[in-house]
Amino acid sequence: MGEFKVHRVRFFNYVPSGIRCVAYNNQSNRLAVSRTDGTVEIYNLSANYFQEKFFPGHESRATEALCWTEGQRLFSAGLNGEIVEYDLQALNVKYAMDAFGGPIWSMTASPSGSQLLVGCEDGSVKLFQITPDKIQFERNFDRQKSRILSLSWHPSGTHIAAGSIDYISVFDVKSGSAIHKMIVDRQYMGVSKRKCIVWGVAFLSDGTVISVDSAGKVQFWDSATGTLVKSHPIANADVLSIAVADQEDSFVVGTAEGTVFHFQLVSVTSNSSEKQWVRTKPFQHHTHDVRTVAHSPTALISGGTDTHLVIRPLMEKVEVKNYDAALRKITFPHRCLISCSKKRQLLLFQFAHHLELWRLGSTVATGKNGDILPLSKNADHLLHLKTKGPENIICSCISSCGSWIAYSTASRFFLYRLNYEHDNISLKRVSKMPAFLRSALQILFSEDSKKLFVASNQGSLHVIQLLEGSFKHLHAFQPQSGTVEAMCLLAVSPDGNWLAASGTSAGVHVYNVKQLKLHCTVPAYNFPVTALAIAPNTNNLVIAHSDQQVFEYSIPDKQYTEWSRAVQKQGFHHLWLQRDTPITHIGFHSKRPMHILLHDAYMFCIIDKSLPLPNDKTLLYNPLPPTSESDVVRRRTAHAFKISKIYKPLLFMELLDEGTLVAVERPLDDIIAQLPPPIKKKKFGT
Amino acid sequence: MVQLRPRASRTPASAEAMVDEGQPASEEEAEHGLLLGQPSSGAAAEPLEEDEEGDDEFDEAPEELTFASAQAEAKEEERRVRETVRRDKALLKEKRKRREELFIEQKKRKLLPDTVLEKLTTAAQTDIKKSPGKLREVNLQKKNEECEKGSDSKKVKVQKVQSVSQNRSYLAVRLKDQDLRDSRQQAAQAFIRDSLYGPGTNRTTVNKFLSLANKRLPVKKAAVQFLNNAWGTQKKQNAKRFKRRWMVRKMKTTKK
Repeated sequence: MGEFKVHRVRFFNYVPSGIRCVAYNNQSNRLAVSRTDGTVEIYNLSANYFQEKFFPGHESRATEALCWTEGQRLFSAGLNGEIVEYDLQALNVKYAMDAFGGPIWSMTASPSGSQLLVGCEDGSVKLFQITPDKIQFERNFDRQKSRILSLSWHPSGTHIAAGSIDYISVFDVKSGSAIHKMIVDRQYMGVSKRKCIVWGVAFLSDGTVISVDSAGKVQFWDSATGTLVKSHPIANADVLSIAVADQEDSFVVGTAEGTVFHFQLVSVTSNSSEKQWVRTKPFQHHTHDVRTVAHSPTALISGGTDTHLVIRPLMEKVEVKNYDAALRKITFPHRCLISCSKKRQLLLFQFAHHLELWRLGSTVATGKNGDILPLSKNADHLLHLKTKGPENIICSCISSCGSWIAYSTASRFFLYRLNYEHDNISLKRVSKMPAFLRSALQILFSEDSKKLFVASNQGSLHVIQLLEGSFKHLHAFQPQSGTVEAMCLLAVSPDGNWLAASGTSAGVHVYNVKQLKLHCTVPAYNFPVTALAIAPNTNNLVIAHSDQQVFEYSIPDKQYTEWSRAVQKQGFHHLWLQRDTPITHIGFHSKRPMHILLHDAYMFCIIDKSLPLPNDKTLLYNPLPPTSESDVVRRRTAHAFKISKIYKPLLFMELLDEGTLVAVERPLDDIIAQLPPPIKKKKFGT
Repeated sequence: MVQLRPRASRTPASAEAMVDEGQPASEEEAEHGLLLGQPSSGAAAEPLEEDEEGDDEFDEAPEELTFASAQAEAKEEERRVRETVRRDKALLKEKRKRREELFIEQKKRKLLPDTVLEKLTTAAQTDIKKSPGKLREVNLQKKNEECEKGSDSKKVKVQKVQSVSQNRSYLAVRLKDQDLRDSRQQAAQAFIRDSLYGPGTNRTTVNKFLSLANKRLPVKKAAVQFLNNAWGTQKKQNAKRFKRRWMVRKMKTTKK
């Protein structure tokens, strides 16, 4: 393995934004998650809960509602008054249509999927018709006095329940008039001064309307008569969200205290046919407000201000009780936000609106295994580069010599040249970027920093040659056949001959950079690619997928390597396959071609291809046995996967040179320390 | 304004004075009486006074003035006053008109040149990035038609017009719409903030929240964020700089 000096970096101040809305799509088993900074992420729940696509955020786009309609179309609406449709193939915003009602608070799609209903700030409920390429305004319903905060359609499509401040109205869709107005009781812990805000409503097919409000109650109303049937006071703080299952036998609510309650329709006695709604399970997986919940056929999904996405499979709905039925908590990003320049020991951190460039510290001391060496020179914050405009940064990269930085937002591409003299650094922007280079999904520099590879969101791949103060566009590889399945990932070989690009359903394409043509395509695999890298010298392409499979493909031979075939035949260890977080980065050692360095959020592993593979019975996580053990025992327990969990949670790990590693960690406590205030909890004795 | 002469007394015998037609001694007194709407008793008092004073001097009868002449004079005076008022009003109007014109002139000077404004008002909501670096004259006609056709439906509204000049370095937006939209959005955000984090909600800091567990341990630990690292950053920076400078100075003196 070797001895390494490890730079433990904790100055990456990464704070994800809170989750605002969640929408579950049954047909494709995908989850759309929108955050408070306007980013919309799409998770593929059947591909091991991997985040396959995302749409970058925008400062003015504060989304308040998200919904899927027929034909896999995704719409969102927000406080800027616009309804936005997302293009899932081109990975950008298709169009934004102003609803002319002021800020939009809620949006729901009709059960047939052809109409869209929007609740606005001025109290109007607007109906839109969904046409094949756009949406069209149809009509307004009766205008109410206060803002419409939640909407729900009756499954037959004839009635609508709208929750507002202090009351709920039931509308008839055909006439557009309000039939009933149900007043909600303001009582909150005995005091009735604050207005009661109805945060969520749900309409069941038997005519029951379920409402959740800021007084901490879940109430059942009868929409035919407009009266209250049952009231459940469940929390001392607001109940912020509700989601009903498709079969209407269970629903889930989320509160501001972080608790998620599961309600189920159970029969009164074991053999009677009469059923009633009973609160069955509380879950406390969040520390802050749970602003959104969703109910898939087998799981409860919740997300809130504490930025975790929690997916809780329900035991009674899961058929096979294996590791798939465990709780999944997605906290850390599924892509790499850090790039590093090996020659100058620089790290580039990507934030939502700025980039930071840091130089690593250095030490002159030496020590034994496990020692902490004092720094002789501290880490230096060299550059803080703010982006112009309201859009978020999609991707960024620094060249390995450290003299070029490139980043891209949804509408512009920026390229900067850095000059180092002594200890100072100066930045110069390369202006006049070409028109076709509008927004990039992935940027990569070649090892010698002479070429820049950009994957644009139209599907094409551009090769640009970098000259002293300018650039020259060499070639554009056109998009290949196949639909876009995930965000594009790029990898370039250290000798500069080969370029690999993933992201389409056709598989990973390998291009010959010198001859500027397609070389071969790795056969398609049904799980998306999470990390890609090309080894030096041997030019083996190592691909990691979201189901924790790792393949090695030899580019010159155009086939899988022997080692990869052996691994596939034997299969990975079951503990390796049960890891939650995807592998986000793969690295290599220049002097040791048999080693592959991979890491995910909670471990890093060096695969030694010369050692035997572990089977299911061997211990996967075996730390170095004490030297007192005999050599025979050591040889017997050693296997190819050397896993270490010393540094976690890991955001990035890379081999800088022969004997140095850099590990960027982000402790969870540091993230929580910067979140908004939670609800007070009174505990006895404090 | 006519000045009032100080009057010593007022005789209550005003009735006779009023009935009498040609009693006032001088024209001025008559005017006083008629214009100021005073009973002619005041005016009548004067001649009485004068009479009293001038009684010794000559025993003449007061001047005879017909009512008609007095009326005529009164009317004359009124006309003159009306004239002055009208003239004043006319002058003010002139002044106001001139000021208005001045303002319009200034406003016009502040506006963009006419050509640009024309292009802005006739261009419709289309994406002009498709034809880079060209003036819009060719498409203006088509856009005009589109704009008119679409103005009936609710959705078309000229909100944002991208730059119409060759350098394409600016974006023209109707300020009126933008202000309204921003204020509504801010009001909406304030509503959410107040209802979740405003007064009446039971919120606490993250530090206190996470330290609850520490307080209940058998061996009590400190709070999660016990140290305030952001305290005195300026002081610490100054101290570091001073230390560096002191070290350099020390090195220099020891070298010597």
